[in-house]
Amino acid sequence: MVYTRKNQRDLTSAERRKFVSAVLELKRSGVYDEFVRTHIDYYVSDGDGEQRLAHMAPSFLPWHRKFLLEFERALRRIDPTVSVPYWDWTRDNTPAASLWSDDFMGGNGRRGDLQVMTGPFAYAGGRWTVKHNMTEGRFLTRDFGRPRAPITLPTKAQLDEVMRETVYDVAPWNSTSASGFRNRLEGWAPGRGNDRFRIHNRVHRWVGGLMLGGASVNDPVFWLHHSFVDLLWSRWQQRNPRAGYLPAQPPPLGDSQYGRIAARDEQMEPWGVTPAQMLDHSAIYRYV
Amino acid sequence: MIVPRRVALRSLFTVAVAAFTGGALARIATTPPARPDPRVDRSGDFPADLFDEMYGGRRIQARTTPAGVPEVRVDGRPLHLMRCADGGYLTPIDHYQTCPTPLAATRAAVDELGSAPLSRFAAAHGAGPGGSPRGLHT
Repeated sequence: MVYTRKNQRDLTSAERRKFVSAVLELKRSGVYDEFVRTHIDYYVSDGDGEQRLAHMAPSFLPWHRKFLLEFERALRRIDPTVSVPYWDWTRDNTPAASLWSDDFMGGNGRRGDLQVMTGPFAYAGGRWTVKHNMTEGRFLTRDFGRPRAPITLPTKAQLDEVMRETVYDVAPWNSTSASGFRNRLEGWAPGRGNDRFRIHNRVHRWVGGLMLGGASVNDPVFWLHHSFVDLLWSRWQQRNPRAGYLPAQPPPLGDSQYGRIAARDEQMEPWGVTPAQMLDHSAIYRYV
Repeated sequence: MIVPRRVALRSLFTVAVAAFTGGALARIATTPPARPDPRVDRSGDFPADLFDEMYGGRRIQARTTPAGVPEVRVDGRPLHLMRCADGGYLTPIDHYQTCPTPLAATRAAVDELGSAPLSRFAAAHGAGPGGSPRGLHT
């Protein structure tokens, strides 16, 4: 049975409540923190010669598609009516958006220590103690719009430009790939100041706090952000039906990316699935 | 003036070791230049040769390891510095910004750190497929 993923702004209050309850139950059971740990363990940058699967690599999109599916499966074991909603940050692009209300994601961090004080994920509520973190901080942090060097969320026009790319990815298959849908959506760009942060990366920076680091999964809005990134890939696939995942073949011996990235039919850890197996989600879920 | 400062730091380190451990002194005397065992946390003895300054209320230090890789401490705790294909560096605190130098990346991390000390994940980060966390301090 194919289920739907909805825009978070269209959820009923009952749907919001059910999603939050399932996430809190996953946290209580300890399973949520396993997802946090997986994301920490798979963050590898592209200048150290190691294999990269989750970021700065062609498999950024299929790796996160599988990551979301596993999370959603865990949620649906708790409540089969729940799915991961998406946050269209071109539309709901201010701290006043209902996304951040007290019955859903909660609000911004306070000044000083950036601690989120409102909503179900506030530390004081007792149900959201951060376990795996880059610091010994135990509370969720946010810093909307990065007041020290203000940044805005990506605009529709900026996103449309990326959606016009017609090739999935290009050599050298990393954060320096000058074109291709994957790197432009992931959002690595040369330049100075806030212009360096594009699309997906820019959203992590706009939310700030824990969303900025390796432990970003500790902020539940991570899933709503990546649900929208996955929607964008899905729509791009529909628009470019003949533009398959690249590279189709592994880079040859002698290539700087040899053994470092997942080609179309190579397995992605920790699940052992290939990018090719993640290309079609239509039998599992669809976006509305 | 990097060289005199490095010499001065090394001398300080030798004095510190001599004051506490006679056995280590003998080893240093026969195997110059003295370098601490990288697997042991000696945050008090960290021979910073790249930078050592106060920034944002934190002491940030970096040295070059014997392998030629920069190694960073924030208030004595290790911070994993990752190389990027554009020649820059990023840290697990600020994942979405590559910085031109280890110093810039460390300052960027401190900017986003808040008030809490670094955890072990900040040092042992990016296990890769099937492995336990890497890093000097697991």
